[in-house]
Amino acid sequence: MAKENKLPESYYTDLQALQAVDFTLVELTLYLDTHPDDLEALKQFNSAAKKSAELRAAFEARYGPLREFGHSYSSYPWQWSKAPWPWQV
Amino acid sequence: MPTYRKWYYPYSSPFDPCPPLTRVPYETPVQLYLGFQPPGMKQFSPLQALSHGTLWPGLYTPYTDPYNPKKKEA
Repeated sequence: MAKENKLPESYYTDLQALQAVDFTLVELTLYLDTHPDDLEALKQFNSAAKKSAELRAAFEARYGPLREFGHSYSSYPWQWSKAPWPWQV
Repeated sequence: MPTYRKWYYPYSSPFDPCPPLTRVPYETPVQLYLGFQPPGMKQFSPLQALSHGTLWPGLYTPYTDPYNPKKKEA
């Protein structure tokens, strides 16, 4: 984290990019539930899932874990209980 | 942007106890008529989809306040 305990501006742009990809995943999941044989949407879903994983890995490498209970790695010392908390983001 | 709002004009009788209802709005968004969503519809970009709340512009039906439409929804 930066010395002066404040979030870098790029935190929000990276987070928004991740949220955008995750939102398209939500929409495509709901769409594919009712259209299982739509190959186009399925390809888009898989590429979006791959992109989301990449974005998440890059984000967590820079800013710390996003999810707990083993869904995210943590560097030493334990990062999860450190600021910013979800409501502070 | 087509508006999905329709108006209903209830009958007001001279013997009504309360002041008459002028007109009543009701929403008819596109998903009422769409039925089964066709594959391969046009899509928003991810960032636009995030702010619009849906991935497909065809299904984007924002709700604006019918009683004072000029005030921008928060």
